[in-house]
Amino acid sequence: MPIKTSDQSFTTRLKESEADKFMQRAVAKAQDAQWDKRTSSREDLGNWPQWRELGEQIRQHVIRYLPDYLERFSNNVEARGGHVFFASTDEEASSYIQQIAVDLDAHHIVKSKSMVTTEIDLDKKLLELPDRTLLESDLAEFILQEDDFDEPTHIVFPTLHKNRDQIQTIFQKIGYTGSNDPQEMARFARKYLRASFLEADMGITGCNFAVAENGLINLVTNEGNADLVMAIPKTQVVVMGMERLVPTMQEAAVLDTMLARSAVGQRMTSYATFCGPAMPDEIDGPENFYVVILDNGRSNALGGQFEQVLQCIRCGACLNVCPVYRHIGGHGYGSIYPGPIGAVLSPVLRGYELFGDLPFASSLCGACSETCPVKIPLHELLIKHRAVMNDRLKLDHSFNNTVMHGIGMATGTPPMFRMALDVDHAMSGAMVKHDAPTVENFSNHNGYFIHAPGMAKGWTDSRDLPRPPKHKENFRSWFKHHQEASHD
Amino acid sequence: MTEREVFLNHLAEASGRPRHQLVDHPFIPINSLPQTTLSDLSADELLNLAQTRSEALQVEFHLTSQKKLPQVLNVWLKAQQAQNILLPTDPRLSEYGLDQWLAHLTPTPRFWQPNAGRATNLDAASHADAAISVGDYLLAESGTLTVATTRGQGRAFHFLPTHYLSIIPRSHVVPRSYQAMKAYRHALQNGTLQTSNINFISGPSNSGDIEMVLIVGVHGPLTVSYVVIDDA
Ligand code: SF4
Repeated sequence: MPIKTSDQSFTTRLKESEADKFMQRAVAKAQDAQWDKRTSSREDLGNWPQWRELGEQIRQHVIRYLPDYLERFSNNVEARGGHVFFASTDEEASSYIQQIAVDLDAHHIVKSKSMVTTEIDLDKKLLELPDRTLLESDLAEFILQEDDFDEPTHIVFPTLHKNRDQIQTIFQKIGYTGSNDPQEMARFARKYLRASFLEADMGITGCNFAVAENGLINLVTNEGNADLVMAIPKTQVVVMGMERLVPTMQEAAVLDTMLARSAVGQRMTSYATFCGPAMPDEIDGPENFYVVILDNGRSNALGGQFEQVLQCIRCGACLNVCPVYRHIGGHGYGSIYPGPIGAVLSPVLRGYELFGDLPFASSLCGACSETCPVKIPLHELLIKHRAVMNDRLKLDHSFNNTVMHGIGMATGTPPMFRMALDVDHAMSGAMVKHDAPTVENFSNHNGYFIHAPGMAKGWTDSRDLPRPPKHKENFRSWFKHHQEASHD
Repeated sequence: MTEREVFLNHLAEASGRPRHQLVDHPFIPINSLPQTTLSDLSADELLNLAQTRSEALQVEFHLTSQKKLPQVLNVWLKAQQAQNILLPTDPRLSEYGLDQWLAHLTPTPRFWQPNAGRATNLDAASHADAAISVGDYLLAESGTLTVATTRGQGRAFHFLPTHYLSIIPRSHVVPRSYQAMKAYRHALQNGTLQTSNINFISGPSNSGDIEMVLIVGVHGPLTVSYVVIDDA
């Protein structure tokens, strides 16, 4: 599956997501649970703001000297006997890996979870070859694969949109006869995949961080599948976005703990591994080791106003706090990178024609920026996308600017603000609808907008907007009287 | 020009920053939290923390003397009803005084053998229902065991067996990853350690991929135990 996951329009995707009540409940439950775990694991570390500063510094430093770090890293991989391929596009990367499978006559391929391999549609490319088997070994990715490569809905929890009954049905297609108990289904997957691991002759992994000082790959997982992919097959291919460098293993360790705390609320993931090609006297591990370093649009961000998006460590925390993601889930975005990070990154990688809707899929509440462990100002980057689009599409944003300027002035100047409160009720009379008071419109019985003008239109397209109260009934008047009464 | 040079030059051009500036601008961290965090704990506090944090991961944690080590291992093996035992070929087993115990161990264990091939060793690991490894460090902060791959203790040693136990000397319980990383980097740089792989293992494998329900034991071992030898 390439970056774009759907040909449907944004509004159609939203309608479908809105109708998927299980998904919405699952996302809400996951967000709430993760909120508690993430917060407590950050508190337990202590000095979280200073850790964020360090995380940001590491990532910004690497991006600033990216060609130098890539050079150092690739030299060190080669010194260990590995091969490095620099791919400018998804097609270059997937064709190169396909060729490795042909040249080495590899027939049984196992993979561990990797967003970048999804980005380059690698599974399909490898399965084009005759007589090849390929198995995703991460439990969630395995479920998606067995469900005809269904699209992931979250970058850390790809199967969030599936319930246990659906998973049971998927597994029944491959011989499962047990119940819908998660533990029992996981044991079935363990047994099923173990056989594939043992016969695998090629392993494919992603890369959390690539260590420039010694050419090792740092991978973190909870299941242990990536370690089996790195131990058993004689050939390993690592696919990584070009920005995933760290200077030394020390910085990798810093980011690993920030990633684990931000992604799943753990102090460390169950497994964090640093690996390279097997040394000549070691027994297992890959004899043939390839690293594919991918640009695929990332360089569009370099040196420009979206450069900070390259700091991302794919923890998914921004998805887990996003109110828009809570309602539309991953599929609503139509990109393999959903949520706030996806809304910023997808247009950088593939442009506004494909992903121009996404920067508007945000309430700009800023929760994403606040939680990001490497301090990416996501909501500010979304605003920048909107401005760039307006400029590129030669749209006139002077109206928006004027309105925002006007609102800024009115709310920032007490006499003007008071005057607005005096007249807003009267001036809105012509645009509001009145119904007889009922339980449902209890808070709207003053009347409500169904088609508000200008910037409020987006709100009234899907919700009612209560009419401003009369001057004597508004909060300020009420508070003033309340204070006077209590002084009396 | 090689494909790498074209690629890297393109990045330099796109960013508007010339290449080869790193030598004059090495990375200098803005704070020292990685090394100062938990560094003020006493040895006892460190051990207590290691135990609490390990147990929070559902790790069975034992502190024992070298003398009682064989007994602890026997009890553990019995609890796992181990029929196929896997051990490393590693001089540390002798250093921990286990030669006698090994000589009488039943059922007869299999070893990860430096001179046997990949297939033999993977077969031993995949059939093992209990593996006993020798660990390098234990990180108190996160209850994490670290192990570097050696000829006598391969990568799959830690992942294929059903139940897994690791022995770590108390003097190697350190505050957090910083201290272990420092030691590994030093050993790699001066050549006292030659390895292609270092594992940080924090408890048994797990997943929340089905309705976010925590499942313990997915691809790696179903249970994990740490035995700390009190060598202080
Ligand atoms: S943008 Fe920040 S919060 Fe979102 S996935 Fe990336 S690192 Fe995590």
